[in-house]
Amino acid sequence: MKLHLVSLSLVLAALPFTGCRDQKITAYRAPKDPAPVVAPAAPAQMGPSATLPDGHPAIGGEAAPASAPGAMTGNVPTAEGMALLWTAPAHWTAKSLGAMRKGSYAIAGETGAVGDLAITAFPGDTGGLFANVNRWRGQVGLEPIEAAQIEASVQNIEANGLKITIAEATGQANGVSTTLLGAIVPHEGQTWFFKLIGPAALITREQTAFREFLSTIKPR
Amino acid sequence: MPDFVRLLRDFFVSIRLTVVLLVISIILVFAATLAQVDLGVWGVQQKYFHSFFVMQEIPRTGITVPAFPGGYLIGGLLLINLLAAHIYRFKLEWRKSGIQLTHAGLILLLVGELLTGLLAEESFMRIDEGQTKHYSESYRQYELALLDLTNPAYNDVVAIPQTVLAKTGTIQHPQLPFQVKIKDYYPNASLQRRSPAPGTPPARATAGIGPNITAIPLPLNPKESEGNLPVTFVELIGAEGSLGTWLVSPALSQPQTVVYQGRTWELTLRQHRYYQTHTVKLLNFTHEKYAGTDIPKNFASRIQLTTENKSEDREILIYMNNPLRYAGLTYFQAGFENNDRTSILQVVRNPNWILPYVACLLLGFGLIVQFGIHLVSFSRKRATT
Repeated sequence: MKLHLVSLSLVLAALPFTGCRDQKITAYRAPKDPAPVVAPAAPAQMGPSATLPDGHPAIGGEAAPASAPGAMTGNVPTAEGMALLWTAPAHWTAKSLGAMRKGSYAIAGETGAVGDLAITAFPGDTGGLFANVNRWRGQVGLEPIEAAQIEASVQNIEANGLKITIAEATGQANGVSTTLLGAIVPHEGQTWFFKLIGPAALITREQTAFREFLSTIKPR
Repeated sequence: MPDFVRLLRDFFVSIRLTVVLLVISIILVFAATLAQVDLGVWGVQQKYFHSFFVMQEIPRTGITVPAFPGGYLIGGLLLINLLAAHIYRFKLEWRKSGIQLTHAGLILLLVGELLTGLLAEESFMRIDEGQTKHYSESYRQYELALLDLTNPAYNDVVAIPQTVLAKTGTIQHPQLPFQVKIKDYYPNASLQRRSPAPGTPPARATAGIGPNITAIPLPLNPKESEGNLPVTFVELIGAEGSLGTWLVSPALSQPQTVVYQGRTWELTLRQHRYYQTHTVKLLNFTHEKYAGTDIPKNFASRIQLTTENKSEDREILIYMNNPLRYAGLTYFQAGFENNDRTSILQVVRNPNWILPYVACLLLGFGLIVQFGIHLVSFSRKRATT
């Protein structure tokens, strides 16, 4: 009994040490940061918000220094050890990643039309399929659909062990007929979004290329 | 001897304590192995091993209580048990020298693990080919850095660590011409563009890029592979009043600056930095694969190490199992990115790195001595019979 009392008192004595080490505010003089030599993408030909629907402000968007021409048309390792790789069609032009993008491409059409492909990833399911499809519909001025209609409105494919859900929405943005092709790829607790948006005629032409592109997405 | 002291002594020299602690260790390792599925390696290390108690939340209450002894408590008690037994039963005998050496090695191993846990710092250096860097970055610790960019040659930095950010409140630092009010800190959050729809609540940030973004707090993700994305809301208050509130996050690549009293300040939430007195330039990175496959064979970084006073200026090849040890730091080849044009070096400062080697040598030597003594005495007995 007495022995148990000793063990109990030892356990209690250790309790105050359960906290972690505290850190302090520091002040110092440091050299300027070196400029990145390897750019994550080629310089932008256009601002990242150029093809975004009305009301969407640009986020980030500082043009990264130039990389070797064509470097981003091959396998693109994602930043920060991110988990997916893909191969973009050769006629897509890589552009600056901006603040939130893991990948960013401009797709040029006739008479100056430009499509924008944005690749982003967030932890968790970011609201789920229903919320995201309706968010995309809202970006081309379409009314939200009912939860019961959601499965019928999307297409599910599988590529390299990944489950890809594809949604399509055509409506109006900035008074222009606009199509949005979106793919949602859950992977290792994150949700990856591949969103292609632009003038309807151009995006319809790019349908096949976009689907071929989706089939190249693979885990790192 | 007073009763209590005797009781304490009997408790600590008891072999029963050793057995109980070893059984508890086995249970701890088993539970931690299962928990690795949800928490990842780092989360498990922190929760089960680098702690005195495994803290568990009582479901639906939000109250956290100690649920099981942690690695530090078990290891600490084992160490005391071993030391106490060693001292209590110590007799200077040639026949027991091997056991004593083995025990000394074991004690050193336990002490070494404790010191490593307390003193070692791990960081990484992500470096592009041709780039020169003078700092490494923490894997998990973030800091709000306020950089005075005014001088073209250097930055004056005030770095506020995440532990201070998490407490929120107002900070007045002698190097800063304004007060820094930490209004909120989310250790993990998702950033989304603010909806322009009417009825959307007003943005919390009033300056920089923040008014266009909504930060949605997320639960802390213990998995190292997925990581967390912290966000903080910071208000700067000058002598004339508020300069604005900024949303600051490592996800924002666009710098957010403010000009105050003729000086330009940048606000950035970044991984905590460890500055070195030497620079590392990545000359080139090579990634060899086994012929005809994508299976990695070797990664190697050829670097140029240069000190401030140029006393050291040499080329070094860092590759798998061949780290660079310099100035108390060890640089390991850890990874690569950007089509093999960016190398990631793990940078470890462990003032205690030599102790486990010494401990293992002592352990091995002690076992050889002990078995040697037994072998000799057995041979002698056999020869006489």
